[in-house]
Amino acid sequence: MQPVTDLTYSQALAELEQILAALRGDDCDVDKLTSMTSRAVELLNYCRSRLTSTDEELRRILESLQN
Amino acid sequence: MMADPITLLQLNSRISSLIAGDVSLHDVWVTAETGDLRVSGGHCYLELIEKDPANGRPVARMRAIIWASHYAHISSEFAVATGQQLVSDLKVMVKVTVNFHPAFGLSAVISDINPEFTCGDLIRRRMMMIRRLTDEGIIDMNRTLPWPDVPWRVAVVSAVGAAGYGDFITHLYGNPSHLRFSTELFPAVMQGENAPQSIIAALDEIAVRTDDFDCVVIIRGGGATGDLASFDNYDLAANVAQFPLPVIVGIGHERDVTILDYVVAVRVKTPTAAAEWLIGRMEAALTRVRDLAAEIFRAATSKVSGGLQQLAYYQGLLPSLSLGKIDRARSSLDAAVPEALRHAVELIVRRQNDRLDAASRLVEALSPQAVLRRGYSVCRVNGRAVTDASALNAGDILTTVLASGSIKSTVTEIEI
Repeated sequence: MQPVTDLTYSQALAELEQILAALRGDDCDVDKLTSMTSRAVELLNYCRSRLTSTDEELRRILESLQN
Repeated sequence: MMADPITLLQLNSRISSLIAGDVSLHDVWVTAETGDLRVSGGHCYLELIEKDPANGRPVARMRAIIWASHYAHISSEFAVATGQQLVSDLKVMVKVTVNFHPAFGLSAVISDINPEFTCGDLIRRRMMMIRRLTDEGIIDMNRTLPWPDVPWRVAVVSAVGAAGYGDFITHLYGNPSHLRFSTELFPAVMQGENAPQSIIAALDEIAVRTDDFDCVVIIRGGGATGDLASFDNYDLAANVAQFPLPVIVGIGHERDVTILDYVVAVRVKTPTAAAEWLIGRMEAALTRVRDLAAEIFRAATSKVSGGLQQLAYYQGLLPSLSLGKIDRARSSLDAAVPEALRHAVELIVRRQNDRLDAASRLVEALSPQAVLRRGYSVCRVNGRAVTDASALNAGDILTTVLASGSIKSTVTEIEI
């Protein structure tokens, strides 16, 4: 499987939607449930981190603006 | 013979008095274009020009002045009515009195202006630009560009150090959700007649780096109603319309529109509103991620509980299934065994009977009684069956047993 950090936001989102569809469908193997869910969590955290920045980052940007 | 010459001043004074004496040159409403406009010492100096509509070449030209005493009033009335300041390259209708000053030459002194004429002309010009952009098939190009899921890399076209730019940045990075943005400023002149070319140059810089950005924001900040006419520029509109990234325009105008409003992907009033729009877009993406998280959690949980439920169902089913199997086996045994047994026993009994019948028939056939009934008889002497005549003597008493009864007789003759 591709490391999430190599994905674009849109790719990560598309994979999340695929996982959701598989989870909702009948063809989801219980053996795969754990790995699918942990992949989903990884993707979700990645997407969230792409959308939001840390306090430190923000402070750095706003400081550079003032200089 | 030459007449006595006069001085230039005398000549100019003649012209001056001719012009001053002609009432048809007093307080005349004139339509023309403005050019080379500048304000100095509170007075406004400009040129009035009439151009050939076919080729744009000047066919008439005159210097004009608005004295400070009139300029304050005229310029503010004009700005309020047209939404734009009195600058060069506008069509105007002005009330002039022609004046010839011996030292400064001919000039038109402007005492009033009709802003409605300019409004009408601005709208006409804009309509013509819209028609041209439509005919060229580019007017909707930027508006129909797809937006990326997360427009977080923003190229900003603005004047360096402008209040509007500061508003935009502070608002964008100060968003309460801590949404991540990355901005880069492409400085441009945002006022006056150089603005279109300067903005186009900034766009050209962004155009070679389109992979680095998700969208472009063109902002101009905060101040009073500016000269929006400079934004009503065909080249600028055509550039923005065909720009490969979605463009947001927030050039701080409340009432009036410019041609840019017809071509950009997103039109907002102020730089702050531009930031607000981007934040909304990113909030929507964040909400989508949150919703997906909730849905995946639900789906995974229900998958597990569904599996457990299924197991519980099978678990409940198992005992009754296997017991039932045994019951069924037993009852089928109950039904099958007696029948088969009876069958087998009957068969055996019947066979035995048959065999007994045969034996009794044989026994019967071989019994002495049966032989006697066929006419044979047994002779006994002294209780012993006689089988040899030589063992008898004359005078012996014979007992003859018949099938029914017996007789006694005496031996009289023996033949051997």
